[in-house]
Amino acid sequence: MLKSKFTRYVFQKLGWYLLAFLIAVSLNFILPRLIPGNPVNVMINQLAVGGVQSDALARIYENYMREFGLDQPMHIQFISYFRNLFRGDLGTSFMLYPGKVSDLIKEALPWTIALQIPTILVGWILGNILGAVCAYKGGRFDAVVFTSALAVSNVPYYCLAIILLYGLAVHNPIFPVGGGYSFGNFPDLSFSFFLDALHHYTLPFLSMIVVAIGGQAIGMREMALYELTTDYVHYSKAMGLRDKKVVGYVFRNAMLPQITGLAISFGTMMGGALVTESVFSYPGIGSLLFTAIRQTDYPLIQGCTLIITIAVLLANFLVDIAYGFIDPRIRAAQLGER
Amino acid sequence: MKNLLKAQDLRAYYRLVDGTEIKAVDGVTLELRPNEVLGIAGESGCGKSTLAAVMSLTHNPPLRVVDGHVAANGSNLLTMPPEQVRREIKGRHISVVPQGAMNALNPTQRVRNFAIDMLQEHFPEMTKAQAIDLARARIEELSLPVRVLDSYPHELSGGMKQRTIIVLSTLLDPKVLIADEPTSALDVTSQKIVIKLLLALLGEGIITSIAFITHELPLLRQVADRIAIMYAGKLVEVGSMDEIIFSPEHPYTRALMGSMLVPEKHIREQRIEAIPGVPPDLKDLPIGCRFHPRCQKRLPVCSQEEPPAKIVGDRTTWCWLMQ
Repeated sequence: MLKSKFTRYVFQKLGWYLLAFLIAVSLNFILPRLIPGNPVNVMINQLAVGGVQSDALARIYENYMREFGLDQPMHIQFISYFRNLFRGDLGTSFMLYPGKVSDLIKEALPWTIALQIPTILVGWILGNILGAVCAYKGGRFDAVVFTSALAVSNVPYYCLAIILLYGLAVHNPIFPVGGGYSFGNFPDLSFSFFLDALHHYTLPFLSMIVVAIGGQAIGMREMALYELTTDYVHYSKAMGLRDKKVVGYVFRNAMLPQITGLAISFGTMMGGALVTESVFSYPGIGSLLFTAIRQTDYPLIQGCTLIITIAVLLANFLVDIAYGFIDPRIRAAQLGER
Repeated sequence: MKNLLKAQDLRAYYRLVDGTEIKAVDGVTLELRPNEVLGIAGESGCGKSTLAAVMSLTHNPPLRVVDGHVAANGSNLLTMPPEQVRREIKGRHISVVPQGAMNALNPTQRVRNFAIDMLQEHFPEMTKAQAIDLARARIEELSLPVRVLDSYPHELSGGMKQRTIIVLSTLLDPKVLIADEPTSALDVTSQKIVIKLLLALLGEGIITSIAFITHELPLLRQVADRIAIMYAGKLVEVGSMDEIIFSPEHPYTRALMGSMLVPEKHIREQRIEAIPGVPPDLKDLPIGCRFHPRCQKRLPVCSQEEPPAKIVGDRTTWCWLMQ
């Protein structure tokens, strides 16, 4: 009985997520095409600078338009986009022709994941601990840490990135100015490559983690402060429960919204580091998307935004399901008991 | 001096950020006797909940005890190390039914697990199974449904939640139960059931005394053995239930009784009178008797000096008219 209700809840949710996915994927098609300028014109102009004859240019133009399917009416393009999508074919990049979009994404994805997952996790864990300690200790510790967290979390992360870049790479060249690894090095599984990648990793990681810790700490502090004044805290103390136990209750309950925050961070991680990756020329999805937008490379934009769409929806779906396991009140709502 | 629980010359003030003090409890001496329900009544803001908080040792800043002591078994609980108070007093000698009892249980924890946590806190050698057995036995003894143990707070009705809290509060067989407005959020039917439960605890000897804080005087008429009336941080009259309800002496107590609908024969025919004026600001109290600006029978001395206690039999009154 209980199981079937839960299964129904999951399927109902899945239905909504499927609808959201279809709408998002349609927008992924439409939005890049609203960028002014024809991508083929951009490519042709680059060739014209190279001194190619004008009748040759016209032929190349037509050839590209046919090759990319841009000579077709919009609704035909839309249908073939959907057909290809469900076949798992993300198309061919314009700017890196004939590079496959899926290959380009496959190359960039590990860099973004390697940059984001540790940042999100470490930032989340440290931020929550810091926020919880602030709320519990109060006083001067709280005043200092909370103010710093507030200041740091309001610095745009790309500003911090540029400051770090100037301070630790340009002014004092301790770290490299950009890239995922040294020029001339090639990605492999050797120890020297790992060290080189780590060296390039430090600054982008630092620029994001500081902001992440600050933001999480503020959220956790607010939640914990609220929970600390609730009736159940007073009652538990009045019944002689030791502080450690009561604090355990408080933090479990204060964690609930933070878990949503964590999942949303995971969801937005693909697009979240766009500017950071650009500042450090980090070879991830962010840099790829940034270049794709500048070149109006429709298939590549669509491919990147598809990854972002999937990540966001998946994270939200998991939160919806996981929340029920953590909070009995939401479980009751999921099972239609309220 | 073996007493159950006694407040002696207790003064407890809230200190605000700007340094002003709110004198919520200002020189209260009150003793809880064995086998009684002591009602503590008064208007909102008279300090009754503050008194309850200090007597149950659950007061927190900005509320501070400025003077006086709270004694139990001959020792001053206010100077006892907090860790000892937590281990030996809270839940074991003095227990509470809190004012916001509706939210007094952790929303993400089953009742059973709170009972285990509480029992193991005080009896570390107790196993989980033993703790559950003990809680279940008590729940059955007080004829509550056993399912409450496996419930989350949101699955219980308001009345059931309140009864569950009362059972949990008395699980360690405390001597004194301090109940702050335990029924004010309940409908009349649930009120009655809760009161029956409180009296059953007393009748079975699980607890020895109850301090029942309320603004609903008719309720005290049903449960209290003695009643203490508070006004602006001070006691004005303490006596047996009969004395306070049927022959009040202090003008404030009289006005309070006069403003109340009581289905007693001789009171029934009287007109309901409101008390003129409003209670004083606890930051800026009148000199002399605190009630004198609203008192119909004030004497010249009332606005100059605080009235001393006048003890006649079991009744104590603080009023110049009685001197």
